[in-house]
This record gives sequence, C-alpha cells and structure tokens, in this order.
Amino acid sequence: MIRFVRDMLRVLGMPCREHVVLFSRQLDAPLSRGETFGLRVHIVYCGGCRRFREHLRHMQSLGQTLAQQAETEPGLPADVRERLNARVAQAAKRN
Amino acid sequence: MNDAEAPGRPTPDAEPAAVPSRAGESREVAARRWVADHGDILWKFALARARSKEVAEEIVQETVLAAMQGFGTFAGASSERTWLLGIAAHKIADHFRRLRRAKSPGAPEISPDATCACAACRAMFSEKGMWACVAKRWPDLKLSETERADQAQALRACIDALPPGQSEAVWLRDILGIPAVEVCKAMGLTDTNLWSRMHRARVALRSCLDTKFGLSKEKGK
Repeated sequence: MIRFVRDMLRVLGMPCREHVVLFSRQLDAPLSRGETFGLRVHIVYCGGCRRFREHLRHMQSLGQTLAQQAETEPGLPADVRERLNARVAQAAKRN
Repeated sequence: MNDAEAPGRPTPDAEPAAVPSRAGESREVAARRWVADHGDILWKFALARARSKEVAEEIVQETVLAAMQGFGTFAGASSERTWLLGIAAHKIADHFRRLRRAKSPGAPEISPDATCACAACRAMFSEKGMWACVAKRWPDLKLSETERADQAQALRACIDALPPGQSEAVWLRDILGIPAVEVCKAMGLTDTNLWSRMHRARVALRSCLDTKFGLSKEKGK
C-alpha cells in the first residue's frame, strides 16, 4: 500500500516529458500498480499525454495491420531456398 | 498493452515443436532445419526492411552462415527463431549503415531525437518538461480497410526512415510482437537500452506519422 501511494505520487509529480517515457515503457514491461494508476489519473486532466497515448495505441494497431499484411505475403521462394541450402552445404564442407 | 493483450498478432515464437533433440545434430543439419523452419519469417523480415529480393537473399544467407558459425553459442537463452531474427536484425542494420555511408549525408532519415513536427514549436516539451503543443487527433482507424492499409504503409515508410538499429528493434517488437525480453537477448541489449531505443523510435514515428497524416497542431494544452 505504501509503495502504491509512493509510486502514484511520484508519477503525479513528474513532468509530462517523463510521463511519455512511462507510456512507452508500458508497452514493453509492466509498470507498478501505483505507476499505472498515477498515469491513469494524470491523463484525466492532461490533454497532451492523453493524445500521446492515443497515438501510441494507434501506432500499435497499425503495427498489427502491418504484421497481418506480412503474414499473407509469400515466404522464402523455392529458388532462394535451394541456393541457401547449397551455400549451407558448401560452408559445412569448408569447416 | 502487454504481449498477452495482443491476440491479433501472429506469434513468431510459436515454434514448430521441432526443437526437441538438437543434441548431436551437425551444423549442416541444424542450418537446413533453420532454413526449413524459420526461412519464411527471416525472408519476410529481410524483404520488408530491404525491399529488394537480392538484398533480402543476401541478408538471409549471411544470417544463416553467421548462425552456423555461432552454432555452439546458442544456449537456448531465447527461442531459436528469435535468436536467428536477432542475427538478421544486425545484418539488416549493417546493410543500412553501409548504404548510409555510401550515400550523401542528406539522405532522408528521421532524427533519432525527432521531436514535435509542429512548425510553431521547436520541441515537444517546454523547458519545464510540459507539453509545448498538443498534436491533433489522427484519422479514425475504423474508416475503411483501404484507409487502414494506407495508414499501415505510412507507418512502414516511417519505420524505414528510422536510424539503423531502431527500425529493426521496432520491427521485432512492435510489428512481429516478439516479447521485449526476447528482443533484448536477440539484439544484445539490456532492458533499459531497449526501452530507451523503443521510446526514441516511437516518438520519432509519431512525429513522422503526424506530418504524413497532414494535420496541424494547436498550441497549448
């Protein structure tokens, strides 16, 4: 509980420059409960951070679209695969 | 959003359960297996970044050969697929670094410290660290499939313009959805290195997309 309040107050006292770092980090690693709550409270009254988070989510969503597009693209072409395996055999012989 | 909350993503880590007994496997057999099991994703990754089949082939080949050389060094710290993608990421970044050196210095690239694209403000934040300007809303994603695909291509162009090393990290982390811990191991980064690299890249991408979507900004909060 003490840690929760301490983390929340620390986040609420930060300048927005540091909030955006946390918004980004949240995509890569979990924040503490206090930090998460602090950010949630902050965006209630901060339009800049709210928009930043919105744009991050938008980009994440576009990233998923790109991933889906890549899924439908053809994989390693047969001729490239063949050359690659030949190169592997050659390298194995050399060593 | 954490990894568990991204159900729509393909799961590059979901390996064909073919990894069981690598013991006693020769380098050549292992390399052939890599080509069979992971060739497609390596090819797609290289082609997506290089946008040239010749270069992509070169990168995949260099990746597999480098992996063969480091055969004994793979200790299973990351999944085999992520390990190979990490090697490919380095090869791709090297390719673009070489290209950049060969090009004139004015080649288009987003500055690693790209800030607010707003003409009215030179930085994203004031000296006190508060927002210097608030970007406007971007066009709604729910518009249409075509619109969404166009926006995704805009993102791709922005990723291409990031400095080498950042683009690959973004591709592995935000496009392929590989867990941050795995990306760190694959690219040889500490978690704080990765966080700051990803943050710089995302800020730059946001700024790049903001100019592409052509919306102006308003000053103040």
